[in-house]
Amino acid sequence: MSVDTESAVMPGAVAPPAPQVKRRRGARKDRAGYLFLLPWFIGMLFTIVPFFASLYLAFTDYNLLNAPKWIGLENFTAMFRDPVLLKSLQVTFIYTFVSVPLSLAAALGVAMILNRGIKGLPWYRAVFYLPSLLGASVAVVLLWRYVFGLDGIVNAFLGWFGVPAVSWTSDPDYALTTLIILHIWTFGSPMVIFLAGLRQIPVMYYEAAAVDGASKWRRFRSITLPLLSPIIFFNLIQSLIASFQTFTQGFVMNNGGGGPANSTLFYNLYLYQQGFNQFNMGYASAMAWTLLVIIAVFTALTFFTAKYWVNYDS
Amino acid sequence: MKEQPPSTPRSELGRRNLLKATGLGLAAAPALAACGRGFGGGGDDESGDGVTLNMVWWGDATRAEKTQAALDIFIEANPDIKIEVEYQDSGPYQDKLATRFAAGDAPDLMAMRMDSLREYADRGALLDLNEYGDDIDLSGLSDNAASLAEVDGSVFGVPAGLNAVGFVIRKDFAEQYGVEVPDGNTWSWDDLGAFAQAISDASGKEVYGTGFDVQTLQNIVVWVRQQGEDLFTEDGQFGATEATVEAWLTMADGLRQSGAYPPAGFFEEIGGGPEASYIAQGKLASQIIPTNNFLGYNEACGGNLVLLRIPGEAQAVRRGQSIDCPHLWSVAADSKHPKEAVKLLEFLTNDPEASIATGTTRGVPANESVAEEIKDSLEPDDQVATEYLMGLQGEDLPRSYTYPPGGSAIADFLDVIAVEVEFGRQTAAEGAAQFVAEAKAAIAG
Repeated sequence: MSVDTESAVMPGAVAPPAPQVKRRRGARKDRAGYLFLLPWFIGMLFTIVPFFASLYLAFTDYNLLNAPKWIGLENFTAMFRDPVLLKSLQVTFIYTFVSVPLSLAAALGVAMILNRGIKGLPWYRAVFYLPSLLGASVAVVLLWRYVFGLDGIVNAFLGWFGVPAVSWTSDPDYALTTLIILHIWTFGSPMVIFLAGLRQIPVMYYEAAAVDGASKWRRFRSITLPLLSPIIFFNLIQSLIASFQTFTQGFVMNNGGGGPANSTLFYNLYLYQQGFNQFNMGYASAMAWTLLVIIAVFTALTFFTAKYWVNYDS
Repeated sequence: MKEQPPSTPRSELGRRNLLKATGLGLAAAPALAACGRGFGGGGDDESGDGVTLNMVWWGDATRAEKTQAALDIFIEANPDIKIEVEYQDSGPYQDKLATRFAAGDAPDLMAMRMDSLREYADRGALLDLNEYGDDIDLSGLSDNAASLAEVDGSVFGVPAGLNAVGFVIRKDFAEQYGVEVPDGNTWSWDDLGAFAQAISDASGKEVYGTGFDVQTLQNIVVWVRQQGEDLFTEDGQFGATEATVEAWLTMADGLRQSGAYPPAGFFEEIGGGPEASYIAQGKLASQIIPTNNFLGYNEACGGNLVLLRIPGEAQAVRRGQSIDCPHLWSVAADSKHPKEAVKLLEFLTNDPEASIATGTTRGVPANESVAEEIKDSLEPDDQVATEYLMGLQGEDLPRSYTYPPGGSAIADFLDVIAVEVEFGRQTAAEGAAQFVAEAKAAIAG
């Protein structure tokens, strides 16, 4: 049982192959499984077809109205000469590399506090999880706009300490920061996973370490981190992929514009603008496939480093 | 972005399949599938003898009510024609229209943005109304109005109404702070500056004197024309010089520095209609609006607005203001019922009953005699806006040319550099140089 749950949580861990004896019964079980998966397979058709269509379109000049025209790699070479695209990459990279580590740290921190056996844990867990259900929704980004508005709560709070009011959402120097804070605030789903992981670390390790006189920090570094590393790895991959694909926050912040001054123009938002506003669907498809490659590279890098810090022999 | 040669389908089958496939497009598959099948579709109505037209436009519920009132009159006279109407906000509308064309499921009659007209028309997506000259009569339109959707001798749309930009001033603030409202027919940009400064000073910046949008194309267009240039020239080029754009940015920045105009970061995306606007909240004493929104703004401001012309018209090299339209009505080239769609368009354009029903929600009727006829039935605020526009229309204004393909990206460029200059991250000269270069590149493709 415990093996099952662990491998469900840890994608890196490979489950041992099932014994060959039960093969016949297994096949029938499989059929039932596929039947339950049927809706998903049907749904997949709607993903697969556009998926390959967009691969073809990436090599064409396609304006949505006329037939696509094959232009080879021109879309891809044009990307290197597009300053707005480079700006959108910069925005996306800053957003990802600042907000992912910080939100994971926040998630782990809160999970550790909640793991100390406080009363009403389910309630707290739900409260902290709530923002991540709402985080990418339009309503919350709108709310965020008011909270961080010129007359908003944040400026009122900072005003008590004599900090002059800052236009958090309309100043191009601060708008992305505001969205990063929003992202960090939505640490709920990695937190819940961390919490589950923390509960699986046997208490006896901590007891033994305490007997040996290990400090709190030492126990965290030598017990919690190594034993939790597969889960950190999982959360890291998940967050990286999701973060590269950020769209809603930039879209809602400035009525679809990615403003002020393109400071929240996420890569996916620019892709959308190119495809649906500027009628450059071929270019947008090329951008989509480039993003796929970027995400694949960073995911691969993370997997590559895993053997140096992820600990599977618990 | 790139040049668009005429379509040369390799094989009809391949193309059709591809269009279907790509209509489902990228990540937005569910949304697009919905718009392809879910609504409208505008095809034949198999259940009866009649035809069903699919008509799409953007706007709010008020506009929907008024439009439906006009359509009801049409349907009563033409019982064999059914009309399926879809409307939504302008942002999503734009995206949805593009995808419906891509899916081979274009609506019959549609609202078309001025800056998108040639994106569609140049690619053969729209019906040339000149080919239906017997079904629709455009002779009642002024030259200003008739030329709005004309491309190389073809007409790809009819203005759903006419509007212009106008300067509104809150006369209650002028009175309260003892500042005289300038004469709208003769005032200069310096007069605007002096007025705004006086309001800001007298109110201790509780109310800023003016807050017109620097980054809105419709506003800078007037300035550019006043300098004797065109934003878009007759041959479809970008015609504004760096010096002119720089002067516009410098003028606004000067007002900002002196406090006549709100400081950087003051304007946030507040959304909503006139009620949510800064002028209605009492934080601004003046701004530029499209004239067809005058009624909404005046109501939101408690009836305290006066409508003035844009400053500088009397002093400039030539007139800057022009007759514009909130949107055009266009018919899809692939419409299965072009005759019926054109018939509906004829009704909306030339039948006074239609315009009485719709009022001036989309601006003043393009047909001058219709406009004259319905004027008295309008609400007082709409009459003010209508008179303003008809006054302009009677004057000799230099012709304005429509957006070339790629032109719709230019609004985004201006938005970016306006913010860069606002926050002092670029000088006006740098911003102007960048804007002109980007605009020219976008049109060159």
